[in-house]
Amino acid sequence: MPAQKPYEKSFVLSLYERMVLIREFEERVKFLFLEGAMPGTIHQCQGQEATATGVCASLNPDDWITSTFRGHGHALAKGLTAQELLDELFGARTGCCKGKGGSMHVGNMKKGMVPGIAIVAGGIPLAAGMALAFKMRGSRQVVACFFGDGAVAEGAFHEGVNMAALWKLPVLFVCENNLYGASTHVSKVMKDTCISRRASHYGFNGQTVDGNDVLAVYEAARQAVADCRSGHGPVLLELLTYRRTGHSRRDTCAYQPKEEREDWFSRDPLDRFAAVLIQRGDISQADLDQIKSGVEQQINEAVEMAKKAPLAGPEELLQDVFAPLS
Amino acid sequence: MKMPDLSTTDSAIKLVRWLVLPGQSVKRGQSLCEIETDKAASEVESIVTGVLKEFRAQPGDLVVVGQELALFETETPSTPAPAAAVAPAKGPGLFARNRATVPATSPSPPIVLSQSQQTLGRRLQASKQTIPHFYLQASANAEPMIRRRNAASPKPVWEAFFVSAIGKVLKDFERIRWRLGEEGVIAAPNSDIGVAVDVKGDLFVAAMAAPPGSSVEEISNDIRARVREIEEGAGEARGIRPAAITITNLGATPVESFAAIINPPEVAILAIGKIGPVPIVQDGRVAIQHRVALTLSADHRVINGKYAADFMGAIIREIEAF
Repeated sequence: MPAQKPYEKSFVLSLYERMVLIREFEERVKFLFLEGAMPGTIHQCQGQEATATGVCASLNPDDWITSTFRGHGHALAKGLTAQELLDELFGARTGCCKGKGGSMHVGNMKKGMVPGIAIVAGGIPLAAGMALAFKMRGSRQVVACFFGDGAVAEGAFHEGVNMAALWKLPVLFVCENNLYGASTHVSKVMKDTCISRRASHYGFNGQTVDGNDVLAVYEAARQAVADCRSGHGPVLLELLTYRRTGHSRRDTCAYQPKEEREDWFSRDPLDRFAAVLIQRGDISQADLDQIKSGVEQQINEAVEMAKKAPLAGPEELLQDVFAPLS
Repeated sequence: MKMPDLSTTDSAIKLVRWLVLPGQSVKRGQSLCEIETDKAASEVESIVTGVLKEFRAQPGDLVVVGQELALFETETPSTPAPAAAVAPAKGPGLFARNRATVPATSPSPPIVLSQSQQTLGRRLQASKQTIPHFYLQASANAEPMIRRRNAASPKPVWEAFFVSAIGKVLKDFERIRWRLGEEGVIAAPNSDIGVAVDVKGDLFVAAMAAPPGSSVEEISNDIRARVREIEEGAGEARGIRPAAITITNLGATPVESFAAIINPPEVAILAIGKIGPVPIVQDGRVAIQHRVALTLSADHRVINGKYAADFMGAIIREIEAF
């Protein structure tokens, strides 16, 4: 981990806080589900906090992201609040999608996150289209498109990536390779498991990065975003990471071998980053503990609010279906 | 603590074994027990931090979602997780809130299908799901049949004409009698022709022996007798008897034509619609003729289109020759 780069203390602490926020949010949601307080299913990202945090830290507020169905971390990293997400998960009209999106479709158009496209690889052609709009308007914005290793085998991946390459569109393709498409290991579905290599076939740059190292992710994303913004076309970042929970809430993860789990748990992105921060000398364990308790407090309050938030009603069903003509 | 919603379907969850003991301190997130759902084996995490007081379910028990699993004494009642205790959740949960907005419907008594309907349903579902049906439609001049029927007293039932027609041609179409079994193709044990009969809403098949020499009147009398047996509920009559092919007739209704589901193990079924006057072209002129629409459903694993078409043609020739 490139710990010795002269990062501002406030910057690295903000990264840490964001990662803690994602972890605590996901853990709380998991227990809300187990308690029976939360409806629906959920797809969680414990263990993958560094990918969302590192990539989104490299983006400007007016840049965009797309996600699939494992989007809680991406949303929090892009600046959505725990409150608007929890409200959404509870089906409240105060949620980020007015309670009509739920866990699988979180997003906020005012904060640069298209509501999640829950179809695997569904966001890829969409991101290419958004980037085409940026290019045609000359707005110099960038879109970071998050997808998993399972998406690479979809036709939409080829279609979106090829078009973005051909037209040099400002898309950062972020493949979070957590080794499993639902329950299927990558080695069972691809001969060449180095996903970043695919970029060269389309004629642009790809790079594989330790996705559990938030600073490595941030550095790679920062460079990639700069390339995208300067008109060089897309970049593919493959971030190697690991999902600590099941694919969805009822998935028990029994297919992850014990040794593999332990190996990856020893490289947990939060633990590693905490160790790096302590090594700097100007950050103490107490600073980190304070961040954690602050986040816990924030989520406790948000959960209580969300439980009381007004549910979306049937009269709202047909609202926001079509965008107004501009 | 109650059983979390870990079942992928609504099926009960089997408690396999406990991983903790009463008196033991348990942390939120710690594995409490092993369970088995219809899909996978897994562990249940504790949603509380506290001391396990007693089990509320035993290994081997089938536990439904929301059922009490174990009783805990929580260390800090002011813990931010309010659902910690075993006490019923304060206020209705979200599901309850959602449901509360739906007008309550009064529970209606369960409807139980008759035994014969259940059996029929299973057989026809298997038929529709496993047999590659194809359908041939044609119509026949019904006027010779009408004349023949009007000349008789008492008038034969309509089904008798179709049973008679099929009975005459079946010997030339041995494949119609073929059955696809687990060990290949075998021939039906007889050349009976089944007649679908509706008795007070239930569907039965009366298997009729119709040797080529038998008259329409004889067949009609047989059908009437068999239907009476079924109506009187004679056990043997109600049982399923194998036939070579079944006919199903909705001619007494406004239905002009329809396609039927094959009655396994048979490989074809003939659906008969209403007889009615239709315009036809005869010798270059439009004329009115009473015709009947026939739809043959056939099993493509055993019968091909041309064969079925020839069979249909033979039946029509017989119908038009009454």
